[in-house]
Amino acid sequence: MLRTFRGGLLIGLAVAIAIAAGAITYERYDTKTLKRTIRRGDVLCGVNKGLPGFSIPDDKGDWTGFDVDFCRAVAAAIFDDPKKAKFVPLDANERFKELQSRKVDILSRNTTWSMSRESNYALYFPAVAYYDGQGFMLPRSRNIDSALDLNNSKVCVQEGTTTLLNAADYFRANNMKYTEVKFPRLEDVLKAYESGKCDTFTADVSQLYALRLNLIQPSDHVILPDVISKEPLAPVVRQRDDDWMMLVKWTLYAMINAEELGITSKNIDEALKSKKPDVMRLVGTEGAYGEDLGLPKDWAARIIRHVGNYGEIYERNVGEGSKLKIPRGLNSLWSNGGIQYAPPIR
Amino acid sequence: MTKFRHLIWTLIATGGLILSASQSQAQMRQPDVGDQPGLLPDESVELDPQFRKTAVLYRTNEPPGTIIISTQDRHLYLVQGNGRALRYGIGVGREGFQWQGLLNITRKAEWPDWTPPPEMIARQPYLPRFMAGGPGNPLGARAMYLGTTVYRIHGTNRPDTIGTAVSSGCFRLVNGDVADLYERVPVGTKVIVRQKPEL
Repeated sequence: MLRTFRGGLLIGLAVAIAIAAGAITYERYDTKTLKRTIRRGDVLCGVNKGLPGFSIPDDKGDWTGFDVDFCRAVAAAIFDDPKKAKFVPLDANERFKELQSRKVDILSRNTTWSMSRESNYALYFPAVAYYDGQGFMLPRSRNIDSALDLNNSKVCVQEGTTTLLNAADYFRANNMKYTEVKFPRLEDVLKAYESGKCDTFTADVSQLYALRLNLIQPSDHVILPDVISKEPLAPVVRQRDDDWMMLVKWTLYAMINAEELGITSKNIDEALKSKKPDVMRLVGTEGAYGEDLGLPKDWAARIIRHVGNYGEIYERNVGEGSKLKIPRGLNSLWSNGGIQYAPPIR
Repeated sequence: MTKFRHLIWTLIATGGLILSASQSQAQMRQPDVGDQPGLLPDESVELDPQFRKTAVLYRTNEPPGTIIISTQDRHLYLVQGNGRALRYGIGVGREGFQWQGLLNITRKAEWPDWTPPPEMIARQPYLPRFMAGGPGNPLGARAMYLGTTVYRIHGTNRPDTIGTAVSSGCFRLVNGDVADLYERVPVGTKVIVRQKPEL
């Protein structure tokens, strides 16, 4: 009798432990983001509080930017409605925690993909949306068009950043001498540059284009095409939710493939009538690739119709159609001098 | 088909000219619509920043010195090596007059004369039969002849048409840019022309 009781107790304990373990596993690994998103009727996107070109709200609370449009593309694929993307502004230091605690479904917040970020936070960066990197700005009057001509320069740089270390590496690797002119605050670095205390200013290229707008005569300054470090900006999702990760990844790839195939928000109706096999597979008139993602066949056509292809999103937010006017550079398609390359949809 | 393909590859191997098969209607040459022979270039025209000569990041396996033309973006790239290129703004062929292929520069000329071909005279009978080189000439300050075709990379007397698609298949640069490019590329330079993908 006592024995049976003891046995029962053991079994009970084992079951309890199993349930608890399951709960912990569930707590740690969420695998239902897509289902929850559909049930709730929106996609929650963690974005930067205000970074021109990437994500910034206007006085009516309408968001614009490259990162914002990427989220709208995800919403368009799921709901056929880009307005179902809801934006949650997050600070840099809280962004990963907020994603982990499921306050947002996805981070689309100018976040650099690195190994430790992926492993330490149990996160996953599905694909690179924007290749940023460190570059140099200098007065146009200096008539220099290559970073290799910057020997013996006084370099304005922000203190305590990887930017400083990258500059040191670059000058050493190319046997060039330089002098650091550094300040803790970026505004002070810019001021020093503008008052002529240094020959060149180094920061991430996207940042240089934004900062140049604040100079008295922006067109008197050029940003060199050279990129000396890797800052791959990518959306972020939680690990172990493969369905959601796939959806986010292929949303980006659909936009890149659309650009390569010449499909835009303006000619999408024409594309739906195309007889070219790779166009047909992308817009869903052949095959049912969307269904593998838990979406309808026209998932990619929805993205292109509502938000546009990769090039459209780039030019509108940070390229020629924007105030920033950042050249495509590394973000050109692989077939046009850049490294944006998407696996085929087939 | 196989024979045709074989022929094409032979042409590539001999450094010959290939035009894609879809170009049959783009027989035309030299400037036409939008050109006004005799008009002196308006020096005050300011190019949109994206069409001004600029050094850009451009990765390619093509050797330095190669010219790559992207008709879609209205850009001409001169490959510099080290992942860089010089980029110039261009005007391109209008709809139906765009083409793609691989050619070589076979001849260079300063302030070229212009002899509009018969097809062009048929389309635009008001054009002169011959026009001596000079500032009012639609071919502008320099011309680089592509293969044995009627296409050229040339200057213009209409700087305001840079960034547009109005020519008969030629590529036009503002006179300052075409003179700059002219100094940088010898006869024999490889020219790759890329067109936008079709749906």
